[in-house]
Amino acid sequence: MILNLEAGMLSKRARDVPADGIAMSCRVRLARNLAGERFPDWATERDRERVYVKVRDALHAEAPDFLVEPVAAYEEQEREVLCEAHLISKDLLERAAGGGVAYAADGSVCVMINEEDHMRIQGFANGLDMQAAWQAADALDTRLEGHLDYAWTPRLGYLTACPSNVGTGLRASAMVHLLGLRLQGETEAVVRGLERMRLLVRGIGGEGSEAAGQIYQISNMDSLGLDEQAIVQRVSRICAEVVRQERNARIRLIQESPLVLVDCLARSLSVLQNARLLATSEALEFLSAMRLGASLGLFTRMKVPEVDKLILTMQPGHLQKVSGMTLNPEERDEMRAEYLSRKMTNVKLKC
Amino acid sequence: MKCELCHKAEAETVIRKKDAGEEQELYVCRACAHETARGEAAAAPKPAAAPVPSDALSALPLMGMILDAAFEIVGRAVNLSELTCPACGITRSEYRKSSRLGCPACYEAFAKELDTAVLEMHRSLQHVGKTPEKARAMWQRQQLENALSDAVKGQRYEEAIALRDQIRRLSQPEGQQGGLA
Repeated sequence: MILNLEAGMLSKRARDVPADGIAMSCRVRLARNLAGERFPDWATERDRERVYVKVRDALHAEAPDFLVEPVAAYEEQEREVLCEAHLISKDLLERAAGGGVAYAADGSVCVMINEEDHMRIQGFANGLDMQAAWQAADALDTRLEGHLDYAWTPRLGYLTACPSNVGTGLRASAMVHLLGLRLQGETEAVVRGLERMRLLVRGIGGEGSEAAGQIYQISNMDSLGLDEQAIVQRVSRICAEVVRQERNARIRLIQESPLVLVDCLARSLSVLQNARLLATSEALEFLSAMRLGASLGLFTRMKVPEVDKLILTMQPGHLQKVSGMTLNPEERDEMRAEYLSRKMTNVKLKC
Repeated sequence: MKCELCHKAEAETVIRKKDAGEEQELYVCRACAHETARGEAAAAPKPAAAPVPSDALSALPLMGMILDAAFEIVGRAVNLSELTCPACGITRSEYRKSSRLGCPACYEAFAKELDTAVLEMHRSLQHVGKTPEKARAMWQRQQLENALSDAVKGQRYEEAIALRDQIRRLSQPEGQQGGLA
């Protein structure tokens, strides 16, 4: 009886599985360096400070609405918050003198100063709107190039600290949620296919990270030999195909293994409502399931944007910022469990 | 990059070797660098054989230590000729160890090895994207200045005058360029 009810309810959902939300966000990053200056990894503190000042002055002239600050000016918790929001990288956090960050008030563009390269200009956009992310980064880059002497040659394009970024210096990436493919056991095949097409597939934290919560970052491998538009369009087109495959996996999951799906959602909700200690990675796994359920409309009082907000705010930096306290890992796990439990109080599975 | 002698180990240093009277620059691994140094030492003309003193055999372990030290010195001498970027001073092995170049000029200093790596990474050696006007003009001027310096050194004065005029034209504001008013 219960199973019939589930099957009826779910089969109705299968006809209307949305593709929205599978691609969570996208980013286009441009690596830029100044001629005649050592790259940050080999530069002295004084070299990096000099580059920071040049970039800051160019930003003040061309983007006066940007907030430009040295990384050291931020408290440790604030730095973590910026890192969790993907505005800056862990590498930049560790950079002492000369490391800086600049971002627009609306969060659409951000510049990391003296990370691996002198500048990493990043444009952000929702979903798979990679054109918007590219245009945001490109517009700022074009304005800055009048003030800065970029290291560039006609043959190799923009010269970068690592030859893997030389040429356009462009990395276009999309963050995609692929839990449907995981539950169908198809993730590895998709990842292998992407790698054969010379795309990089990484976890949520970028290079070297695991795909916690089945959230993957897909980006281009080649930055030389193709122009910027061609790279952006190619990554965008392939990511759209990945989104289509994830949507199909979700439809098949509903049609062929509804019990597996419902069990996964029910367990996740139950843990989030009742756990007393939750580590970040563990919480991310359960929130990933909540995200899938929410996108299928299977929860009351829980939509995808709310889950995305929880994925961000349950991370250590945000959690401590909200609580206004510095917490040790165990205290954080306790606070995270309590926070998520409170948010899940009125959430119910519809089937 | 693989050693150009054994083609197995990673090349770590550069040596100069005479082949059919012509001196070659080779990128080789540490073992091949030592082997080459040993070979050259063995091929060097030897002094006439002297009578072996009776206690010479007991000194063999000591000789071994002296030879090891000598090879170490040869090894270090070989490394002295390692490629170095003239602008930032990082060596080829430092770059290889960190996978990060020292400065933009390293692309020229390590061009031979980098071209191979870049081609492997991107399947291309030609940029086709955005061109920053200021950087392009700066690059063009640098090329002309290098050519002018070469022309002066080679006492090709007519060519040098033409190059100097080109550089002057580049320095003029846009409206003043060209012969027509």
